[in-house]
Amino acid sequence: MYTKVILVKDTDTKREDRTREFFTRLLDYLRECNLHEQVQVVRVADIGVYGRGLVVKILPDEITYINLQDTDIRRIIDAAFKENKVVEELLLKPKAKQHRIVLRNCGKIDPESIEEYIACGGYLALKKVLGELTQQSLIEEIKVSGIRGRGGAGYPTWMKWNFAREINSNEKFVICNADEGDPGAYMDRSVLEGDPHSVIEGLIIAAFAIGAAKGYFYIRAEYPLAVERINKAIKQAYEYGLLGKNILGSKFSLDLDIRLGAGAFVCGEETALISSIEGKRGYPHPRPPYPSVKGLWGKPTVINNVETLANIPQIIAKGGKWFAGIGTQTSKGTKVFAVTGKIKNSGLVEVAMGATLRDIVMDICGGTFSGKPIKAVQTGGPSGGVIPAELLDTPVDYENLQKLGSIMGSGGMIVMDEDDCMVDIPKFYLGFCKEESCGKCAPCRIGGFQMLNYLKRISEGNGKLEDLKQMRRIAQAMQKASLCGLGQTASNPVVSTLRYFESEYNEHILNKRCPAGKCSNLVTYSIVEDKCKRCGICVINCPVKAINGDKESGFSIVPEKCVKCGRCLDVCKFKAINKK
Amino acid sequence: MVKLTPEQLEKMGKPAADNAKNWIKVGMSSCGIAAGAEEVYNFFTEEVKKRNLPVAVKKCGCAGMCYAEPLVEVNVEGLPAVIYGAVNKEIATKILEKHVVSKMLVNDCIFEVLS
Repeated sequence: MYTKVILVKDTDTKREDRTREFFTRLLDYLRECNLHEQVQVVRVADIGVYGRGLVVKILPDEITYINLQDTDIRRIIDAAFKENKVVEELLLKPKAKQHRIVLRNCGKIDPESIEEYIACGGYLALKKVLGELTQQSLIEEIKVSGIRGRGGAGYPTWMKWNFAREINSNEKFVICNADEGDPGAYMDRSVLEGDPHSVIEGLIIAAFAIGAAKGYFYIRAEYPLAVERINKAIKQAYEYGLLGKNILGSKFSLDLDIRLGAGAFVCGEETALISSIEGKRGYPHPRPPYPSVKGLWGKPTVINNVETLANIPQIIAKGGKWFAGIGTQTSKGTKVFAVTGKIKNSGLVEVAMGATLRDIVMDICGGTFSGKPIKAVQTGGPSGGVIPAELLDTPVDYENLQKLGSIMGSGGMIVMDEDDCMVDIPKFYLGFCKEESCGKCAPCRIGGFQMLNYLKRISEGNGKLEDLKQMRRIAQAMQKASLCGLGQTASNPVVSTLRYFESEYNEHILNKRCPAGKCSNLVTYSIVEDKCKRCGICVINCPVKAINGDKESGFSIVPEKCVKCGRCLDVCKFKAINKK
Repeated sequence: MVKLTPEQLEKMGKPAADNAKNWIKVGMSSCGIAAGAEEVYNFFTEEVKKRNLPVAVKKCGCAGMCYAEPLVEVNVEGLPAVIYGAVNKEIATKILEKHVVSKMLVNDCIFEVLS
């Protein structure tokens, strides 16, 4: 029987992988010490530490050594097995860790089994609410926790609930906003698919807090599996009497239903979402009146994001004080981020508020996969902004991100390296918002269109310096005068790139050059005669037959035909294609 | 099914002691399924039945490590619980033969150690 496990991994990606070599040496030494029967050595694919040379982790002691040399083997093995010590100078200092509240059950339980959720303490928060708390004391607990809406704006959840509770009405509604539409964000989908009951429990508790008898899940139709699992989960909850009449034998009753979104981004905005549920076109309305006062069918309605609701059962179970102990002064609890883009370990990361962007991107996600330095991180999707690499040490919370010209948003985080162009990125996001603008109000409809035209002109090399001034003016008009959040925030990517990367805009305008080589109109490809071995692989791969010549006389690219796809650059083994 | 009372709910909230100690969980959210988790799950259920192995095969949601889907969590008594990533049939076979039967962790495919 093995008493210890040693994990080995070479985390330095810049040189040849030395994991196997080190693994063999380690085994040799263990055999020499006659320890190989007690210790199991395993090469792992990921050891949770990045760019720290050879890393060894000893279990169950949880000792991690970094930057190891072959000569260190003797020291660490002797220390662990003979002297019962640790080698201090090789130890890994504690690094940022994930803190899972929302994702606590994701990947742990079977999402299609209510029994497994209950076995993990599920629905006990609901039992506590129904048995011990009143509406006021429940809302008080949520107030103590300090949780704010996870959909993006960060409005205190207890205030929303309290407004709706205070109003006398024969009918009230609760809605779970699961219309997650930001490009690159999928936190909500993962919770709905991995732990649907936690969201349902949160929604039941919200309904109790305001006295609603009817609730809706508004899920986008592009998430078929999430819809299926929520559907199944609702059915199971009904069967156990956790939904329907007299929940858990109490006087409280609630019915839940699902409504599918048909793919309009604007329907994630709460007033547009309400219109959509009512069967009308998904147009936003001016606020106030806020939905908490006058929402679905004119009745008080609380709309909460999936992640907010998934937090609620834990807050009730462990207490508001516990939750308030996590995070920063103004932002409590944790936040789930979907980290994508040029990142080594893309995926979902849940960290306590106040973790820095560097913690998330470098320590947890391992930096860029190309090994190139990070240029910027985009947070908050099309409503957010771009944060340059210099500011990666900023602790993440609602206020800090806003100060930097971005927003927390729903939690999309896109990592960009030096190959990403800071004119192209806002062009993409603005293009998205222009497509998704409902067209009801002029600032968003016309402003977005005009601003996109400026960006297109700049990226084609036809921009003027006055364009930047004009774009700033339009952005301000959109922020101030748009009806809903979509228009108010659509200019954020442009404004933030103008703030941090104005020199890159100038380079496009004055020198007609795209530093990242992304804007195809400003890039030319040519063949370097000296390096070309005349193998002809570029000719075969060119999709538009823009490369002339033969193996005798050499090849050249015809600029008029070239579509600048970069295929030749990718396939050339001799670096003979020049991109300028 | 019976409507639960608060007492029954509380009783269910305490996991039974005889809970299977050996299990294999396959991450079956959209991301996992897209990467081939369904095939891996079916392979595990068939092979475990065929070889009559003392291990339960279960489904679960996404653990968040999208870069390494399909993810398979394996817990076998006497070994730390680990998550294998980028699992295909070949690795799945190794997991059954090495990890489950011989109680040896499989090289080069572990992405996270849980305990």
